[in-house]
Amino acid sequence: MTTSVSGGLAIEGLHKVLGGRSIIHSLDMAVRPGELVSLLGPSGCGKTTTLRMIAGFLTPDAGSIKVGGREVVNLGPEHRPSAMVFQNYALWPHMTVAKNVGFPLKLRKRPKAEIAERVDAALTLVNLMHHKDSRPARISGGEQQRTALARALVQEPELLLLDEPLSNLDAKLRVKVREDIREIQQRLGITTVIVTHDQEEAMSVSDRIAVMNNGRIEQFSTPADLYSTPATEFVATFIGSLNRLEGRIEDGRVVPGAGVVGIRPEDVVFGPEAHPRGLAATVERVVPRGHFAELHLRREDAELRSYVTGVPPAVGTSGCARIEKWLEFEDGQLVGQGTPA
Amino acid sequence: MPRVLSRGVVVLLAAVLALFIIGPLAWLAVRAFAASWTYPDLLPDAWTLRWWSVVFSDRALGVAVQNSLFFAPITVLVSAAICLPAAYAFARFEFPGRRFFLIGVFAANSFPKMGLFVSLAALFYALNLMNTILGILVVHVLGTVVFMTWIPAAAFAAVPRSLEEAARDAGASKLRTFFSVTLPIALPGILVAAIMSFLSSFDEAQGTYLVGAPDYMTMPTQMYSLVLNYPTQVAAVFSILLAIPSVALLLAAHKHIVGGHLAEGFQIK
Amino acid sequence: MTAELEAGPAVVVRPATAAAAGRTRGLLMALPPMVLIAFFIGFPVVLAFGFSLGFTGGLNRTIALIGQNVHTAHGIVPTLSAYAEMFTNARFLGDLVVTVVVTVVSTTIVIALAVGIGLYLKFSGGLIGKVLSALAVVPLFIPVVIASWAILGFYSANGFLRSVAAQFGVDFPIWSYTLVTVVIGSVWTSLPFATLLVSSGLQAVPQAMIDAARDAGASFWRVVASVVVPMAGVPIIIATTFTAIGILGSFTVPYFTGPNSPNMLGVDMSNYFSAFNQPQQAVVIAFIVFAIASGIAAVYVWANFRSAKESGAV
Repeated sequence: MTTSVSGGLAIEGLHKVLGGRSIIHSLDMAVRPGELVSLLGPSGCGKTTTLRMIAGFLTPDAGSIKVGGREVVNLGPEHRPSAMVFQNYALWPHMTVAKNVGFPLKLRKRPKAEIAERVDAALTLVNLMHHKDSRPARISGGEQQRTALARALVQEPELLLLDEPLSNLDAKLRVKVREDIREIQQRLGITTVIVTHDQEEAMSVSDRIAVMNNGRIEQFSTPADLYSTPATEFVATFIGSLNRLEGRIEDGRVVPGAGVVGIRPEDVVFGPEAHPRGLAATVERVVPRGHFAELHLRREDAELRSYVTGVPPAVGTSGCARIEKWLEFEDGQLVGQGTPA
Repeated sequence: MPRVLSRGVVVLLAAVLALFIIGPLAWLAVRAFAASWTYPDLLPDAWTLRWWSVVFSDRALGVAVQNSLFFAPITVLVSAAICLPAAYAFARFEFPGRRFFLIGVFAANSFPKMGLFVSLAALFYALNLMNTILGILVVHVLGTVVFMTWIPAAAFAAVPRSLEEAARDAGASKLRTFFSVTLPIALPGILVAAIMSFLSSFDEAQGTYLVGAPDYMTMPTQMYSLVLNYPTQVAAVFSILLAIPSVALLLAAHKHIVGGHLAEGFQIK
Repeated sequence: MTAELEAGPAVVVRPATAAAAGRTRGLLMALPPMVLIAFFIGFPVVLAFGFSLGFTGGLNRTIALIGQNVHTAHGIVPTLSAYAEMFTNARFLGDLVVTVVVTVVSTTIVIALAVGIGLYLKFSGGLIGKVLSALAVVPLFIPVVIASWAILGFYSANGFLRSVAAQFGVDFPIWSYTLVTVVIGSVWTSLPFATLLVSSGLQAVPQAMIDAARDAGASFWRVVASVVVPMAGVPIIIATTFTAIGILGSFTVPYFTGPNSPNMLGVDMSNYFSAFNQPQQAVVIAFIVFAIASGIAAVYVWANFRSAKESGAV
């Protein structure tokens, strides 16, 4: 399979009203060539609407969509250089796996020999040659997913779009398939946009993530940056876990105030010995989370969740809990980060 | 739909279809009020209600109306009593010969009707069913079996088992579950079947004529002789009367006559 | 050992007996309509088949005595002479051709209209879509006798079309009592059932399948031809077979609107039975029509089997 020449995606001022309600508010986004970007957000945030506008199934009320520098906003989906993997895969049940994958090439009137060759290459890439002549109904969910991926890749698109590609797979398969998708995407260097509501999925495959809420991009950045420096309170709570407390932090304790403080559970340290920056705390609940445990701690100023590795303390254990790092928000926006003096 | 079919073309085609479907009916309806009509005028020379009084004062025609309104509901009830348990069995039980029975219903339906009635004649003579109410009922019910088994079977099959299990779990008996959960959910499909059966019985002419005439004339069989023996206008009046129950049914049931129940019902599973 | 025996019946045998009970109950519940069909359709049809082969004894005795021109078999050897008589009858052969042609033409028009209306409903909908689908269902509620009568008048010598044409000085052809009105009447009466079946089949094609095809680069008509129609293939085939079988055996429409000769075999059956008093010939025609219908029915059964196979059930 040849590597696609990917030209990136540029969205400017995208606006969409559906049923009298503004779904997308003047959205801007630039995806670099060869980059994998996730649109992440809760249901109803507008991420699927955005993807469907990029693919051409919905017409925006305003804005521009450029793929590889070419304006595509007035083109139907059949004329756009993008290929999509649908949420339920949308494999045509009356065609075999190979026919499904070959259909886009047949539409482009490629010679039979070329079609056969490229279908084989795409199926080899997703490791599905053994199911070439099977009907979609006869293969597993993971295999259907890979067929849908092959059908998109065979078009050698400038832009690959995936709509919740893993939501119908079981937990174990999901990890495997997302790694496969990432590996293939990097090998071919295809500019890719994935829609997902699963933050772990987005974090593990993306170069950058656009976190969406109420039709706007709250923050568009790398996974590490989103986690360490969330631009808004929404991003902080949506990505990873957060102790959200009203007030501010003074001398290691939470005091009443106008703002909001966010503390990651791993930044709350609990130990049996007293600490100069800590306060007395009691373990109220222990939630095992696999290789670590989540403690629910009661301090005199607040209730805090903390992650510990190794053998967790028993419920009722008394000790000392201190805060190592926190985020400060005002009106939902990040205004500062704090560490103990 | 692409611009290929521009709106104007579509509207034109819709108008042609409207003329094709409604035109003949409207043309006939106007005739019922026509005193006389000169070709090629588009409307009658004069209007009259005379033909209506002819129909209403004719005893034979009145009897035909009565007979039709008697046979159609009875047919639906008898057919439901015979076929609905079978429909439930097709939907919920796996039993020997199930597929054979389903195809049997279809095969029975594809034998040409006129041929069937001709074949039935010998048996009816032997059983003394000729010119009897029972004989006519048998003919009418035979025409409804395909609707009354297939459509409700699909409707029963479409009721999620989990809903029945939830009712059983809540303490309902099997019978109670059927009447409180399964039947209400399957009811729209059964209603469609009942409407199709009613129309089939109401429409049945060939068999009724062979078995019932001249003792038992229904509206459609009466039409046969009307067309030959009365002025066109009388047949037109009678046609309007004959269409009233069906149209009333159409208006009452138009929400339920959706293809889904039919389409589901007509696939053997 | 005892424990195993205890566990055995509780776990394994009970579901089996439950299934067995379901089998018995299912069979009992399914029996009434089957007995009805077997007794009032299956049995007479078998008798009639025997009659058509010249067996004139038993329950066929009365009808064989009343009827004229009856071919009788010698002993237990069936005779095909009644069939031979029909197949050497030029008028019958003409009517056979007419019946097949009218069926093919009418079915083609009905399915084309049904698919057209169904596609418009699926892709455009709106007011026109509603009007189209409402129009197509109307004939379901009009008794066939009336429909035939109304259509006859509409296309007759002093009918609407000729009256309108005459206003412009055009002499429109008279279609009443020709095969044209037989086709028109057959289309008119068969349209609702086919439209309901086909449009619900088209509606059932998931939007994602259509989107996927457009994303792959397919034009509108290509989407229709390669995805929508094949995916609704089973309902379309079912609609086609039912329409064809219905028209093939129809009587009322050709009887009222068609010419005396050539006409469709449904009318011939009635004529041979009532007017000519030749019941054996009527029965022979019925079996010839049934043979053609069975061929069409085989397509239907095959389509159902294919759909079961596609959904992975077989």
